[in-house]
Amino acid sequence: MREIIELSDKTIFLERNEFLKVAGSMDTNIYYVESGALRVFVLDEFEEQTIRFGYRQNLISSLDSFLGNRPSGLYIQALKKTVVKRIRKESFDNFLREEGNRVLYTNILETLVLQQMEREVDILTSSPRERYQRVLKRSPQLFQEIPHRYIANYLRMTPETLSRLKKT
Amino acid sequence: MQTEQLIQSLIEEVRQITNKAERLRSLDYGDLTWRQAPESWNILECIEHLNLYGNFYLPEIERSILISRSKPENEFHSGFLGAYFAKSMLPKNKLNKMKTFKDKNPLNKRLDKTAIDRFVEQQLRLIHLLSQAGSVSLNKVKIKTSISGLIKLKLGDTYQFLINHMLRHFRQIEKIQTTLKKTETRRNLHVL
Repeated sequence: MREIIELSDKTIFLERNEFLKVAGSMDTNIYYVESGALRVFVLDEFEEQTIRFGYRQNLISSLDSFLGNRPSGLYIQALKKTVVKRIRKESFDNFLREEGNRVLYTNILETLVLQQMEREVDILTSSPRERYQRVLKRSPQLFQEIPHRYIANYLRMTPETLSRLKKT
Repeated sequence: MQTEQLIQSLIEEVRQITNKAERLRSLDYGDLTWRQAPESWNILECIEHLNLYGNFYLPEIERSILISRSKPENEFHSGFLGAYFAKSMLPKNKLNKMKTFKDKNPLNKRLDKTAIDRFVEQQLRLIHLLSQAGSVSLNKVKIKTSISGLIKLKLGDTYQFLINHMLRHFRQIEKIQTTLKKTETRRNLHVL
């Protein structure tokens, strides 16, 4: 991971609620979260749906722009005071010219595919309690880093339901 | 100008404006409502002034995109009037005063922080409309202006005009903040 962070050419400081990226923009950068937390979400008919979170030591990006070089409908918003390091796609592409780095990249992508699969199962799980338990078991740290109303949204339940589930 | 490039740069401008508005939330009510002179606007009034414009233009843009059957085009060409309006909105180095229409003047309106909430909501709506803009012609879709239904601007010019107008008033907000800081420093020195 250190060699990826070293590719960064800019540090970005965000206050709570500030946007790193908004819908419609093509943002091909990768961001390394130095401190704070962010969420990736979509907005349909003005209802927000959280897709992913990023907190300390995570990489975050608008993957559809990064991989597809196209505008993306995703928003990335800071949930608290946040510092990210920006890595340009060109620097990352250069980095991938080396065989050893491509192995690392394949590793990252494989992890990502597995995470996406877990997430897909989450979403298809009908019981709110089970959805909650799956995520709690997989990422207990999430509950330390992210305000719970966003976790509730991520779990597709009301904040009230989440707080009831946490108690029992 | 390349349409896609224009849309991308407009979206980026709106993102930065939204973030500036988010930062205003951390100011206390006293700062948000401080005015330099009885006739000059405070920060919330600047925001509300922009909200009044958004209230007019966002539904107009929404409706026009919805009913348009135009096809997207690679190039956007500013209209004569549109280019003029958009440019006249841009703040000059020394912020020049402009006349406000009476119905867009929020002076002494009762305002609280929800003005900022409404502003941010409008920006998300605008971002949504900008991300849809690629599906119609920025040249052929025409938007009625708030001055008169007879004066219409190209959609592309309307976006630019609206955004430049926001840039102008965010410059004004920065100026208010600097003046406030100076005034406070002077007051503190006086106490000493």
